[in-house]
Amino acid sequence: MTQSNFEARLAQAREASTRLREAIATVIVGQNAVVDQVLWALIAGGHVLLEGAPGLGKTLLVRTLASSLELKFSRIQFTPDLMPSDVTGTNVLVMDATGGATGRFELHRGPIFGQVILADEINRATPKTQSSLLEAMQEHAVTIAGIRHVLDQPFFVLATENPIEMEGTYPLPEAQLDRFLLKVMVPNPSEDEMTAILARTTGHAVEAPKSVLHRDDVMALRALCRDIAVAEPVLRYAARLIAASVPDSPTAPELVRRGLRYGAGVRGGQSLVLASKSLALLEGRAQVAFTDIQRVALPVLRHRMIRSFEGEADGVTTDQVIEELCRVVPTRPGAVEQVVQGSR
Amino acid sequence: MPPANTELGRFHRLFQRWARHVRLRLAARALLTGLAVGFAVAGVVAAALWWQRLGTLRPAAAALGAVGVLVALLIATRRRMTDTDVALYLDARLESKEAISTALELGSEDDAGAVVLGDAVHALDKGDRKRARPRVLRALHALTPVGIGAVIYLSVIPLPPGPAAAPAAPGSSRVQLANLQGLEKIERLENLDARDAEQRERLKQIAEEAKRLREELAKGMEKREAQSKIAKLRDDVAAERLKLGDQKNRAGLEAAVGKLAENKSTKDAAKALGDGDLVEFDKKMQELANKAEKADREAAKQALDEAQKAAREKGAKELAQALEEQKKLFEKREAKAEALRELARGMKGKLSEEALKDLEEFGQSGSPEAQKRLAESLEKALGGMTEEERKRLAERLQKQMEQQPGGAAPMTKEQIDDMAKRLGTPEGQKALEEQLKDLAKPDASKESERDKGLGDAERGGAEAERGRGGVAPGPALGSEGGQPGGAPGNKGDKGNKGDKADGAGGPGSKKDFGTGDHKGNTAKLDAKGLRSKATGKMNAGAPMQGSTMGRAPSRPGETANQAGTGALGQAGPSELGGVEGAEVPEEYREQVGRYFQP
Repeated sequence: MTQSNFEARLAQAREASTRLREAIATVIVGQNAVVDQVLWALIAGGHVLLEGAPGLGKTLLVRTLASSLELKFSRIQFTPDLMPSDVTGTNVLVMDATGGATGRFELHRGPIFGQVILADEINRATPKTQSSLLEAMQEHAVTIAGIRHVLDQPFFVLATENPIEMEGTYPLPEAQLDRFLLKVMVPNPSEDEMTAILARTTGHAVEAPKSVLHRDDVMALRALCRDIAVAEPVLRYAARLIAASVPDSPTAPELVRRGLRYGAGVRGGQSLVLASKSLALLEGRAQVAFTDIQRVALPVLRHRMIRSFEGEADGVTTDQVIEELCRVVPTRPGAVEQVVQGSR
Repeated sequence: MPPANTELGRFHRLFQRWARHVRLRLAARALLTGLAVGFAVAGVVAAALWWQRLGTLRPAAAALGAVGVLVALLIATRRRMTDTDVALYLDARLESKEAISTALELGSEDDAGAVVLGDAVHALDKGDRKRARPRVLRALHALTPVGIGAVIYLSVIPLPPGPAAAPAAPGSSRVQLANLQGLEKIERLENLDARDAEQRERLKQIAEEAKRLREELAKGMEKREAQSKIAKLRDDVAAERLKLGDQKNRAGLEAAVGKLAENKSTKDAAKALGDGDLVEFDKKMQELANKAEKADREAAKQALDEAQKAAREKGAKELAQALEEQKKLFEKREAKAEALRELARGMKGKLSEEALKDLEEFGQSGSPEAQKRLAESLEKALGGMTEEERKRLAERLQKQMEQQPGGAAPMTKEQIDDMAKRLGTPEGQKALEEQLKDLAKPDASKESERDKGLGDAERGGAEAERGRGGVAPGPALGSEGGQPGGAPGNKGDKGNKGDKADGAGGPGSKKDFGTGDHKGNTAKLDAKGLRSKATGKMNAGAPMQGSTMGRAPSRPGETANQAGTGALGQAGPSELGGVEGAEVPEEYREQVGRYFQP
């Protein structure tokens, strides 16, 4: 059987992702799951919110990714006094050589006009400044002084936040959180990983990796991701999961009813399918499986649910809720599941 | 269906083959499950049929196995898996990551579709059939041989023994008696001299009922039926006996008793009448008629007359009639007693000392026994007289008659004359002896005779009831039966004759001669007294007061623990109404009584 075009593209995508992983691995020790999830978002065309304690390599990961991608990288350090114009840019009066005003304004573009944006410690800025990212993240465009400026593609925002720095931080508004495709939890390294980190970072500085993927490669991956097929039963399963996350839904399990105030919405469902497609692509498949949906459910849904007072008081986490949903919501119709179980 | 030479066509061909295979196995499993459930039910049904001893139907229970197969076929058809369901099943079993489900939805072989189809075809083509096929046999299917075995076993084994027959209802056994003792006494009521036509009819009916019962008993009938009929007869007789004291005559009876009680000499007679004891009443009136004092007799006649009027005024015609008859009889008895006395006076010199005592007692108490003894003494004395003495007796009798003009002579002047003449001849002497015998015989009233007859019938009923295994209640208070069961103080009580209580009465009544006072003190009893009571004559047959032995005829004033006084005049109106005015039908009371018999 001859290899089809799509199959060849799939193979190329797998090869590209492998190269990217290897490039990142030259700088980042371990954190394979985090790297994979960041790649899901990159390929799906979404943005990532990284949460973890300071010093776990979040910023380094983003910088390394940017270096590997040969894309324009910008970093915005969010502080409480950061203004929206500091992010988007502003028009400034142009001066002539004598220092006199020319009467002409020129746009000074802000850091948002990059392709890989690192929004470091995003929850330290005020909600007003945080929301300056909304238009850019959703529409890939910025409006300054009434003029809309389309951002270069691919546009990829990676934000970090410190969960323990509560003093002087502002929680991200739900609308802002919803714009992130994934919320990735950065775990503490294992002992082996820590040993390797210590060895690697206490000697001579490590060179940044060379770019292994170009803009066109990333755009091709994104296009390929959208071609991944999804069967109706799989889509229905995603829909059932989202529906069951709403506390008022008749299919919601007890933990959802008790622990959540709001569940995931339509954007959550879209993100679930997109992230699943991305995962299938990275695994060299042309179709999404039930297991893909289950694997991406945690990073896709965990920041889209708002806990109730009772849930917070009981210490119910959104991760627990999502795990419960994956356990309770059936993947196949009941009759089929009985046959599958009965023949085992 | 897409062309077979394309990848899509190949996929569909492969998929349909798999789907057919999966569906067939699922259908087979459903059929086997239906068969197992059907035979399990058949086993249970066969067990139930065996238990119910429906032996011939047991093998038919096996048909439920076929029913189970049909039902399973129906369910399997209705629940047939769709292509999508089969694809999902195959994806799960072949671990093809939903490639088959996705390929099934593809309409063309576009870029991604081609890859998906390739994966799906690969999965179907290389998939392990053994691993992917649904299991046909399940643990549940083991019920099939068990059910079949149960049906066969239950069809072969003998049926369980039937339940023991229910015991016969009490009294439902049949009895057959050629001659039940006691019924003849009731049958004799037919010949009893009735008070009027109505009573004659009633007595005739009772007698006929007794005859019918005798015939039925000869043929054989249920014991309880026989007991019921005997009890009914007894009730009828008792009702007839108490007729003068029934609701219709009660007011008149009370009035008559009141009038008689006003007179000292007729007080005892009043009590007897109140008790409904007409024999005793008749005896008391006989004694009064025999008395020598004319004033006493006149007073008694006066009281009888007033009582009769009072009874008539109160509408008690039957009682008034009975009193009227008693009055006439009284005059007749008076004349007889006077004749006897006259004769005795005429033969005064010839009478023995004993005869003189009898004459004196006869005059004082009027006792019928004294009357009998006096007549016998006179007869004896007459036999010992010479012809001369007889002539002198005749002359003396004539002289006495002359000295006694008018008055209530027992014999007319002509009669005495005639007797005096006849005394001279042996035939006359013989006639006088016969007359003396007649004088010795006390005259009983018709009411008294009737009461005796009814009393006999009542005792006959009791005899018949005992003969049928029932426990007959004792006769009514005041009866002359002398049968066991008579209440203390009445004539039937043969024991304790020396008891002070000559009538009924319980603790606290005026007949209660207890030694205590109302302050709760009791006199000291000496051992001798106690011993005398301990050795007192016992009447084993007499029931305790208030004890219920079958059906007991109620008495006015009687309660559970106190015997009735027997006197209607002393019973309260509410008590009387409670007894006579009861709305419970007699038949029902009789039925209840029959079932409550020990």
